[in-house]
Amino acid sequence: MTVYNLYVFDRHGTCLYYGEWNRKNTTGISLKGEFKLMYGMLFSLKSFIKKLSPTDVKEGFLSYQTSKYKLHYYETPTGIKIVMNTDIAVGNVRDVLQRAYSTIYVDFVVRNPLCSLDEPIQSELFKQKIDAFVRGLPFFSARVT
Amino acid sequence: MEREGVRMADEALFEFLHMEVISYIFKSLEKDDSDNGKCTAKLEGMGFRVGQGLVERFTRDIPRFKDELDIMKFVCKDFWAGIFKKQVDNLRTNHQGVYVLQDNRFRLLTQISAGKQYMEHAPKFLAFTCGLVRGALSNLGVNSIVTAEVSLLPACKFQVMMQRA
Amino acid sequence: MLRTESTKINLMRPLGQPALACAGYRWRENYYSHQRRGGYNIGVRIIEDFLARTNVGRCHDFRETADVISKNAFKLYLGVTPTVTNWSPAGDEFSLQLDSNPLAEFVELPDNHTGLSYSSLLCGVLRGALEMVQMAVDVRIVQDTLQGDLQTELRLRFLRRIEESMPAGEE
Repeated sequence: MTVYNLYVFDRHGTCLYYGEWNRKNTTGISLKGEFKLMYGMLFSLKSFIKKLSPTDVKEGFLSYQTSKYKLHYYETPTGIKIVMNTDIAVGNVRDVLQRAYSTIYVDFVVRNPLCSLDEPIQSELFKQKIDAFVRGLPFFSARVT
Repeated sequence: MEREGVRMADEALFEFLHMEVISYIFKSLEKDDSDNGKCTAKLEGMGFRVGQGLVERFTRDIPRFKDELDIMKFVCKDFWAGIFKKQVDNLRTNHQGVYVLQDNRFRLLTQISAGKQYMEHAPKFLAFTCGLVRGALSNLGVNSIVTAEVSLLPACKFQVMMQRA
Repeated sequence: MLRTESTKINLMRPLGQPALACAGYRWRENYYSHQRRGGYNIGVRIIEDFLARTNVGRCHDFRETADVISKNAFKLYLGVTPTVTNWSPAGDEFSLQLDSNPLAEFVELPDNHTGLSYSSLLCGVLRGALEMVQMAVDVRIVQDTLQGDLQTELRLRFLRRIEESMPAGEE
């Protein structure tokens, strides 16, 4: 099992943070372009899923999976979106993403007066914390199989 | 939270309000084209006023202090813990009226950085606390000058110089 | 400028006072005073802290929001639970009544600041916090113990739901 990468978007689609670990493939487009496409895809997926749902969805979608990777999605009521790509053996990580939000984003961005909330995160402390957090996950493994 | 029958506001509020007060002071004075010194002086003054009020509350049930060192110990323990939820890590003195309070994880800096990043911003997050200490000491009958020093966040040192009449 | 009547002070009260005192006249009686905006900036951040600590999800309607504000948010941050009351027939407006206002408990307005809306910070905080969860809400003080009223009453009016905007460059 492994983690490929992680995105944090704000409510306006700005990519606040991007980190990658065992990512083996690139899309061949600039990171900036990739952020835009990723956010656009999530946005469309989310709004269409809402339309399809027989009853009002409170949490939106949680993940999607291809034969090669799995995208996990967590959105707060304030519109902060955390996206994590892993391999397909990883189960439900909703609580993990929720923890990344509440113990790292909130503690080291929201509670850091020097971080604006609508710009890419500059704080080294935040980056260290999120990196340590991902590396410490039980399904994180640096071994490339 | 109930404490001594008095409702206490959640500590996060203090943090957010402190944050906002700093941002307000710096923004409002920027327009007047003032230097940062004026802003920190203002913050320090506000801290002084708050320190005076708080120390009254914190010393309500405490017997009189023996001496200056006793007062400083109170500031490092009860006073610090009441505001920052931890005690000062180290207190040193030259026994000639200079005290150095070292806090290795100063509450108002821990979320900001663990290292050199944002060093240049540290003074504005310390000014209020300098005032707090000076205000508290002043109401306990000690005049002082309080300054702060940071070499690696989130640790910092507050130096208290007693002013003898 | 502002006097405290007692030494029983919590951290919020004394911190608020010099903040007011130093800004002086500019904050008086002004609907869009800084304190409102200042409160707004606090609201924008505190909502994230609130969600992180309580794990409260999205509210279904304004009534649920009212309940969460009173029973969860006020309780958590100020240690009081205001009464939710005076609903408008359309259900888009309600009041939060505070028998005691922790922000103002030992505050007395000095003669030259009698019009100061001391607790308007709360309005800004609520407005900022609710805006972040896609609710545009007007918040104002209709009763204020500091102005001689028996209780403090905040009035919240739902204006509109803020729809999530399409990402830039998308059709």
